[in-house]
Amino acid sequence: MQCPRENGSSAELMMAYTAGALEPSSQIELERHMVACEDCRKMAAQQKAVWDALDAWRPAAIPADFNDKLYQRIAEEAAVAWWQRPLRFNWAWGLRPALPVAAACAAIMVAFLVKEPLPAHLSPVPAEQKVSIEQVERALDDMDMLKQMSLTAPAEGPATERI
Amino acid sequence: MAALASSLERDAELMLRVREGDQSSFAALLDRHRAPVIHFLYRMVQNQAVSEELAQEVFLRVYRSRTTYEPTAKFTTWLFRIATHLALNWIRDGRNEKSQESLDRETVQGATRQVADRNRTVEQELVYQARLAEVRQAIELLPAKQRAAVLMHKYEDMEYAQIAKALCCSESAVKSLLFRAYETLRSRLAHMA
Repeated sequence: MQCPRENGSSAELMMAYTAGALEPSSQIELERHMVACEDCRKMAAQQKAVWDALDAWRPAAIPADFNDKLYQRIAEEAAVAWWQRPLRFNWAWGLRPALPVAAACAAIMVAFLVKEPLPAHLSPVPAEQKVSIEQVERALDDMDMLKQMSLTAPAEGPATERI
Repeated sequence: MAALASSLERDAELMLRVREGDQSSFAALLDRHRAPVIHFLYRMVQNQAVSEELAQEVFLRVYRSRTTYEPTAKFTTWLFRIATHLALNWIRDGRNEKSQESLDRETVQGATRQVADRNRTVEQELVYQARLAEVRQAIELLPAKQRAAVLMHKYEDMEYAQIAKALCCSESAVKSLLFRAYETLRSRLAHMA
């Protein structure tokens, strides 16, 4: 068996092995490999230590009045008249996700509404410097070529999200 | 497997009854799921009072959504998606600026909250509490999303696909989260082997 650390499968394999979730045949194969591979033995021991440590962490008991408090909150909400609910809504919290979008939209609106003449160095390109039709055609040919290259390039594996 | 499938269908069936106005079905769902939700939130925020408050909010949102509920996903996936969302928001908003203080307070109170095992000697109990504090700190030091993934994977036995839906990311992203998290935990807790 190839060492799992060499083919990149060690983490998933060790997690499954130490959790007792491997197929019996895979488990036997891995244990045979670990007889000779100290690194894998060490990793398995460390992962098992992690499982055991996490198993030992038991949270406190559920408070006896949890359900009663919840039903009380539900009853309080039901008692609020429909027209009062928007007044009680925490707009700052509820609209928080929309604030950046709203700010961006406001900035765009301001940009369109406030029109000022461009500085001289940003003025439109003089007629004699305008792009020729041949340059445009060359650019379009280049884009076609790049598109063809991307279609024939070997497929990449799924990108891993950077977390 | 059959029992699990039956359990999942039972959750959806209960929630559909809640949608029709059956309050006793909501009580049944609450009794089935409040412990895992509270425990998950407690391990996420490591503050007993906050975890209870967030858990209340989870079930309040479930109740509020009852009229529009559709069993398009597993009930537990939906439940933990809400719980994770609330926990991540709480962590992100910096309301855990006193988390170190609360962690210390919890550690001190932990000895009273966690009922001492009468089978352990005093020395064994002290060693146990010290190890527990290390575990809690190791978990707390994980980035929030890694922490959530580990807690769902380890304590709720959720599959990668379920965790992905709860965290609103891909399965490959979940695997990446878990592998990094467990690698960090191995380095921090390996001496306990």
